Amino acid sequence: MTIRQSAVVFAWILLIPALLYVLVIVAYPLADTINLSFTNASLRRTYDWIGFDNYRNIFKRGFSEVILRTLVWTFFSVGLKMVIGTFGAVMLNAAVPGRTMFRVLTMPPWIVPMAIGIFMWGWMYNGQFGMISGLLQRFGVIDGPMPFLAFGTSAFWATIVTDVWIGVPMVTIYLLAAIQSIPRDLYEAAWADGAGRFYRFRRITLPLIVPALITMSIISLISTFNSFDIIWILTQGGPSGKTTTMIIDTYRTAIGSYKFGEGAARAVLICIFLSVFCFAYFRLISRFSGATMR
Amino acid sequence: MTRKTLLGTATLALLATGSMAPVAMAQDETAITMIQCGDALAEGYDGFIKEWEENNPGYKVDVEIIGWSQCQDKITTLAAAGTPVGLAYVGSRTLKQFAENGLIVPIPMSEEEKGSYYPNIVSTVTYDGTQWGVPVAFSTKSLYWNKDLFEEAGLDPETPPKTWAELYDMAATITEKTDAAGYGLSAKTFDNTMHQYLHWVYTNNGKVIDENGEIVLDSPQNLEALTWYGKMVDVAQEGPTAYEQDDLTALFNDSKVAMIQQGPWVRVRLDEGLNWDVAPLPLGPQAEGPGTLLITDSLAVFEGTGYEEQAIDLAKWLTNPEHQFFYEKTHGLTPLRPVDGVEEMVAEDPTWGPFLDGISNGGPEPLFTDYKAFQNAMIDMVQSVVTGDKEPEVALKDAAEEIDAYK
Repeated sequence: MTIRQSAVVFAWILLIPALLYVLVIVAYPLADTINLSFTNASLRRTYDWIGFDNYRNIFKRGFSEVILRTLVWTFFSVGLKMVIGTFGAVMLNAAVPGRTMFRVLTMPPWIVPMAIGIFMWGWMYNGQFGMISGLLQRFGVIDGPMPFLAFGTSAFWATIVTDVWIGVPMVTIYLLAAIQSIPRDLYEAAWADGAGRFYRFRRITLPLIVPALITMSIISLISTFNSFDIIWILTQGGPSGKTTTMIIDTYRTAIGSYKFGEGAARAVLICIFLSVFCFAYFRLISRFSGATMR
Repeated sequence: MTRKTLLGTATLALLATGSMAPVAMAQDETAITMIQCGDALAEGYDGFIKEWEENNPGYKVDVEIIGWSQCQDKITTLAAAGTPVGLAYVGSRTLKQFAENGLIVPIPMSEEEKGSYYPNIVSTVTYDGTQWGVPVAFSTKSLYWNKDLFEEAGLDPETPPKTWAELYDMAATITEKTDAAGYGLSAKTFDNTMHQYLHWVYTNNGKVIDENGEIVLDSPQNLEALTWYGKMVDVAQEGPTAYEQDDLTALFNDSKVAMIQQGPWVRVRLDEGLNWDVAPLPLGPQAEGPGTLLITDSLAVFEGTGYEEQAIDLAKWLTNPEHQFFYEKTHGLTPLRPVDGVEEMVAEDPTWGPFLDGISNGGPEPLFTDYKAFQNAMIDMVQSVVTGDKEPEVALKDAAEEIDAYK
């Protein structure tokens, strides 16, 4: 064996743990799910290969509506998280007294166990006992109890607000780190040239945190697209399916109705959507890196 | 022999000794595995099981207690994975799904056994002409009303509504004349929303599936029930789609709604200061007598354990009239059989009466091969009417078409 060959073999040996990890944790479950999506697997102990039937059936019962709703839900949730997170990061970067305390105060939604946070929001949305309805009544905005989870539109937005509340701290802290990595002299030079706060933000901060914004957007997008707990605990996809997203629909099919084949087909579809997002992310990142290099 | 080898040998020897004990036990006794849902073994079961073990030497009952939230999923997963539990507590609504998938064995009842139950109870566990579970827990619903709110609204506090029309009128009066809502209407994405609607179906002589297994949801009786259900929105608490049965009980307890449909267990949970009573469910125009939805849970015996016969025997032992009535009394459940103690129980506590009155005209939770999908379709139907998204005729027709695929 030549030195070059033994180097290659050695490299592969070093890669074995990582390859095994990927095979066991990612590749095998994914391949098994794809395989399952072409079967009629259910509670029965045996199942048959049924080709693309599951994929054809998906679109028979209003699944297009579910896809659209998922995209809208994800768009608004991620959008709000990014806007509020960016604003929060800029504010927390400001040299104000007690800055550390403010930074610590952004953490609770992230630190509190998710289910507890969601239940808390569930109570706040309650019409009879909830804080939001109570305050709105006290200030005369509404004239009676308003159960926010009772109506399609308000339930849809209520779940988004909860998701944003839980997701914003992570975005804020990540973007704060990105802002802190921007060289101070850029701001000092701009300040010396008479640039105002907003101008400095628009022309220095924002362009330099774009890679962080893109990365955070895609991470947030994947987790939001797959967000299950918030909707399930608050509304279980109701009322009238108005908060049913793809992940809720998949759970209901695979675990609720024990239609593992149909559920797997839905899961594969989610995987395809997320792959498209990831592909777009890498394109954006490479384009941005290229632009920066030039 | 090095020290390491010695340690290894000793460890192996210890492991081998440890693993031999259960094998030896397994040779003497067959363990019948049983899953009971809840927080603890049902009162009395310890003694009943010991007695059964004494009468059946060579068998030992190994009970596992699993919380309600995971119980059904665990039972199903074990069965689907080919490692079934011997005997388990399941909602009777799932029996057809289990049976169709070959996961449980039939538990046929003799005519004498069938006759020992109240009418229509056996239908909750019957599919394809035979029984697939032994009823173990049973609930019916009645109308709770708040007498103080009735009085405040100028209504006779001793006269509850007997018909849907009276229910609506009284609820409207209360909504208008007090700070409370007249009626607690459930329409949340929750199983008991479907149950609540089925109470309306069975108090109007309706059905979901007929004797031939055909879907008859789209019937005049059921349309009336759905129309009235939607109409009750006007006299119910704001936003019914945010409330399920237990949320409504909390509102009733706080005197924020004047009437709710609930089970017998609520009688002992209401605040002492609350002035309430309970009556049979109000009836629809087509009713032939008091009705209610009959919900049972069952003990089901799973296929493939090798001791199915013994598991069936154990299920019947645990639910024989004497043991079952003891279980019902200690858990506040509606009795499954008109056994001797029932009359005495009603005499001691007349609030039991309305829960028994509806049984003879009651109907079962329909059995479907995809019960969850059926339930979701029914909940969507109710919600679409309650929110005004669909007219009752359209909602009923759509649901009837959809659930046909799940039968």
